[in-house]
Amino acid sequence: MPASPEHIESRNHRLADLLHGVAQGRQAAFQELYGLVSPQLFATLLRILKRRDLAEEALQDALLSVWRNAGSYSAEKGAPMTWLVSICRYRALDALRRQRREVSLEPMLEGVEDGTAELAGLVDESADSDFISKAEERVLDDCMGRLNDGQRSSLKLAYFDGCTHEEIAASLGSPIGTVKSWVRRGLESLKRCLEAA
Amino acid sequence: MKYQGKRLHTLLAGEYALGLLKGGARRRFERLLMEIPALRAELTTWEERFAAWSLKLEPVEPPGYLQWRILGRVRADARPRREVLRNTFWRTWAVAATLLLAVLVVAQRMTPSAEHKPSEFALVSDAKGQPLWVISVHPEANRIDMKAVTPNPPPTGKSYELWMLPGSGNPVPMGLMNSDGLASETVTPELLQKLASAKVLAISLEPQGGSPTGLPTGPVLWTAALVAS
Repeated sequence: MPASPEHIESRNHRLADLLHGVAQGRQAAFQELYGLVSPQLFATLLRILKRRDLAEEALQDALLSVWRNAGSYSAEKGAPMTWLVSICRYRALDALRRQRREVSLEPMLEGVEDGTAELAGLVDESADSDFISKAEERVLDDCMGRLNDGQRSSLKLAYFDGCTHEEIAASLGSPIGTVKSWVRRGLESLKRCLEAA
Repeated sequence: MKYQGKRLHTLLAGEYALGLLKGGARRRFERLLMEIPALRAELTTWEERFAAWSLKLEPVEPPGYLQWRILGRVRADARPRREVLRNTFWRTWAVAATLLLAVLVVAQRMTPSAEHKPSEFALVSDAKGQPLWVISVHPEANRIDMKAVTPNPPPTGKSYELWMLPGSGNPVPMGLMNSDGLASETVTPELLQKLASAKVLAISLEPQGGSPTGLPTGPVLWTAALVAS
């Protein structure tokens, strides 16, 4: 489906309507919302958690919390899809933190690599996203392209894999101090570039 | 390098959105979010920027049973919640009373003899509250009865299939729904036992003759809670 700005806008409008319906306790609205957003949210969760069982559990928790708290959504919290993705990601990060308390750093990092290979077929970037316009995508790619390799990899490992500073340092073979400064400089230059666009 | 004030807040918001703040730093940031409205806006901006990455991932359809499990939980959650919504309070009670009456009337008519009294009921109704089926469980007769209250045939080439959602694991097929009159389905004692712990039934739209996979393949059209008679 081509993602024209009009299409994205009408999609967002529909999602906001459905969230409003869910806030009023309408199960039909919840079911329609589930159909529209769950594949994209599930992809996000699989990417960060690497395991289907964990991703399923996180999706269930996140969507039940949407069912209960849809009333707290407002445009101030971003586009509906941003809000939903954020709820899922914060759940996933909590799950990773719980896991980390049980597992040492080594097996965790091995897991990241194994999982990435195993799920390689699932993480291809989609040719035509239903939720983001080509123009937005181009600006983001362009701004990411201006970061240096260390900055870019640090931000992506944190976002997509939920890595900590330590895990990023181990994965890139760089000192933690360097990684921390890559993250901050990366964030600052990304912000500058996106604001100028 | 030292970061201070607004510049530091912007960076902290970005790191929080990435998931890089941990322990005490994360809690301090969450506390600041409550105090400084502008920080919330800063965080949303970062979330928006990064969410774009998630939205570019190729979508992955979650397994069918997950939808069932989640809808079952939502359904179970919905009943107590509706009662606290003040503006619909009385209407809810009026509808509930009408439905209960419908259940009792239909149940009396469909119970052939006293020794096979149903143990549980479920009322399936459409979005407007119009009752479609009354489903009753008769453990002594190893039987489930489905009474179509309002004739409701599936679209051509399709069937409505009944499922039970156990506490854990996949939905269990319980047979096809009749579109009018009364139909009975014989069930095994094992299935009845499972049914006693399940609290939710669901009906999905399937190819004619029912799901070819043994798991729901079409959309869930209705769910209904089981109540003890």
